[in-house]
Amino acid sequence: MVRFAFVHSFDRLLGTARVMTVLLLLASFPAQAALKVVTTTPDLAALVAEVGGDHVDVITMSRPDQDPHYVDPKPSLVVDLARADMLVFNGLELEIGWLPPLQVNCRNAAVQKGGTGYFDASRYVKVMEANREANRAMGDIHPGGNPHYLYDPREGAKVAIALGAKLAELIPDQRSFLLENAKKTAEKLETMAEREAERFRSLSADQRRVITYHRSLVYVIDWLGLERPMNVEARPGVAPTPSHVARVLNTMRRQKIKTIVQERHYPTTTSNTLARMVKAKVVVYPGGASFADKKELYSQRIQRTAEALYGSLAR
Amino acid sequence: MTYLPISFRQGLLLSCSLVLSQPSSAAEPAAEATEVPEATVTQATQDSELQGLVDRVKALEDTVELMSTVQPSQAPATVAPAPTAARPEASNLDVALILDAAVAWFSQESLQTGAHDPSDTGFHLQQLEMSLGENVDHIFELRANLVFSALGVEVEEAYGRTLALPGGFQVRAGQFLTPMGRLNLTHPHTWSFVDQPLVNGTLLGSEGSRGSGVEVSWLTPLPWYADVVVSATDPAGECCARSFMSGDDLGVRTPLDFVYTLGLRQFFELTNDLGLAWGLTTQQGPNSTGNGNRTEIYGTDLYLRWRPASATSRMAVSWTLEGMMRRRQIPGGLRVDTGAYTQLVWNLNPTWETGLRYGYVSGSPEDDLIPEATDDRHRVSGQVTYRPSHFSRLRLQGSRDNPLYRDEPIWVGMLAVEFLVGAHGAHSY
Repeated sequence: MVRFAFVHSFDRLLGTARVMTVLLLLASFPAQAALKVVTTTPDLAALVAEVGGDHVDVITMSRPDQDPHYVDPKPSLVVDLARADMLVFNGLELEIGWLPPLQVNCRNAAVQKGGTGYFDASRYVKVMEANREANRAMGDIHPGGNPHYLYDPREGAKVAIALGAKLAELIPDQRSFLLENAKKTAEKLETMAEREAERFRSLSADQRRVITYHRSLVYVIDWLGLERPMNVEARPGVAPTPSHVARVLNTMRRQKIKTIVQERHYPTTTSNTLARMVKAKVVVYPGGASFADKKELYSQRIQRTAEALYGSLAR
Repeated sequence: MTYLPISFRQGLLLSCSLVLSQPSSAAEPAAEATEVPEATVTQATQDSELQGLVDRVKALEDTVELMSTVQPSQAPATVAPAPTAARPEASNLDVALILDAAVAWFSQESLQTGAHDPSDTGFHLQQLEMSLGENVDHIFELRANLVFSALGVEVEEAYGRTLALPGGFQVRAGQFLTPMGRLNLTHPHTWSFVDQPLVNGTLLGSEGSRGSGVEVSWLTPLPWYADVVVSATDPAGECCARSFMSGDDLGVRTPLDFVYTLGLRQFFELTNDLGLAWGLTTQQGPNSTGNGNRTEIYGTDLYLRWRPASATSRMAVSWTLEGMMRRRQIPGGLRVDTGAYTQLVWNLNPTWETGLRYGYVSGSPEDDLIPEATDDRHRVSGQVTYRPSHFSRLRLQGSRDNPLYRDEPIWVGMLAVEFLVGAHGAHSY
């Protein structure tokens, strides 16, 4: 009896071991491991996800409500980068204050300058406001150009094409899918850009005149044919002085400007005061896709923000 | 026979860029017709727009095709003439100059321990730091920190570091600040106070702990950040190895004559906005009090930082605690000393910062290194900092320095300025 019980349990043990082995094998050889991509901003993450589909596993290092210039280089981000196959970043010195130490510390060859998975999205876009004579007396200026190009889907389309080519290089098995999908994404974005620009053209000249807080919306202004006489900040990245705010107030009064547009991560105190004084409205422009929590794709984010902005201007 | 100044490949790239630039220029006239209301768009314009879209899709198709046939690193340059072309990354040496200067007042003779601290009443050039660095090749980067002071030029740090060894390893070689504790690895311009904490100056050295040597670190494959680091450095130098050979260089005969630093650094992301870094370090090496006498230093440091990432004010609160214990074999016995500091710093916004620090070091009548320090010493400091931009700051600091072996505490007031120009690498967490 005792012997039997032993044999029986031994058999069961063997059975369990067999199941475990199969499970382990399955776990260690997944049918197709997704490429691990780390991006600096949620917009880039949303774009990589849109182009790469199921073949990429994307992590973003910052959140849409966070100022992408000032992300804490937390060591937990080092761990993410150390395990990444690809690093997608915005470039034009947007991440200069936090990405370089993470890159050196992660010791991952793929994401170092010139590595197989190193992708600087700014190299594929038409940069606005490049200023080689930039001087810090002018404020926190990016000499390479304005880095906020992903607010414009026309630039997003170019990045999508380039991402498709890069991903196809890293996942050769899915080459045709990735190139095709990149093309589809780009076309979708181009169409959307055209359609929205057309819609904004239906607004009156007064409705299309806005004040922005930071110089970050130049691409949106160019895309949607808006007019921006001034920024609330006199110098990019430097808090506005009272005399400059007074000039903005005068301009708003004179030109009957009814809208101040700014991202969520900029202080609203000055904008709200200005808005109260001239009965204008502060429109909060989302800084990025709700990628981490809602898996929002880049095209969805562009559509959402364009609609919200149109709604605010058309009122 | 004339030669065209472009190769076939360049021609291919050029045509690729032309193909892509066409649709955007075609779109421009439409953008100018802003006064056309949506309702008046006729069938004809819709058709022409459709044709425009078809053309654009074709152009994109061509681009994809071309991009997959040419080198990916070259294609982008044609898609958009990169403005960075005038600033080639290959030779982009980062150069930064940082000037720290201060005016100070002491109620009596000062006991400052840091080499860059303002040390008496009057004006002080704390340092002019020149920081240089760039990737050497695909394997190494070079970093150098040269400090110009009233006494001359000093190579504070100059090391080569590997960029991507396999297995999570990293090697540094040259002269560097050892990974002994948290503050020791940093330079004065990242500090939250004008002067160095007492424990660092007393147990490690007026310049901190540093030396020529080699360091190996390993980023473990654990799910959280855990980095193991070990370094071997030269044991001599009054500025930077005062608990070891200090000013007496007796030479290195066996591997045990080096100073070894061993550390474990970990980071825990408690919430999205709250992080805790924890370090455990020890330093071991020979001291100059007698043949075979050795010194051991044990330290731990905590850094808790709360920064609500979505706060528009960009405020942050950080608390640091760093403590060390030193055991020194001396003729006829063993001396144990301790020291610690703790500080709370509040960045209200990018412009304003304030902080409070308390520091302590032990002392005893038998102290052979600082004969005057017959008893403990306590110091409390408070500071307010104003930053007009990221690149300049003005800091007002007051301290009550209380060495129990003096009759009266020393009252200290300091006003320090800092200016930074050039490309200076970002700082670690």
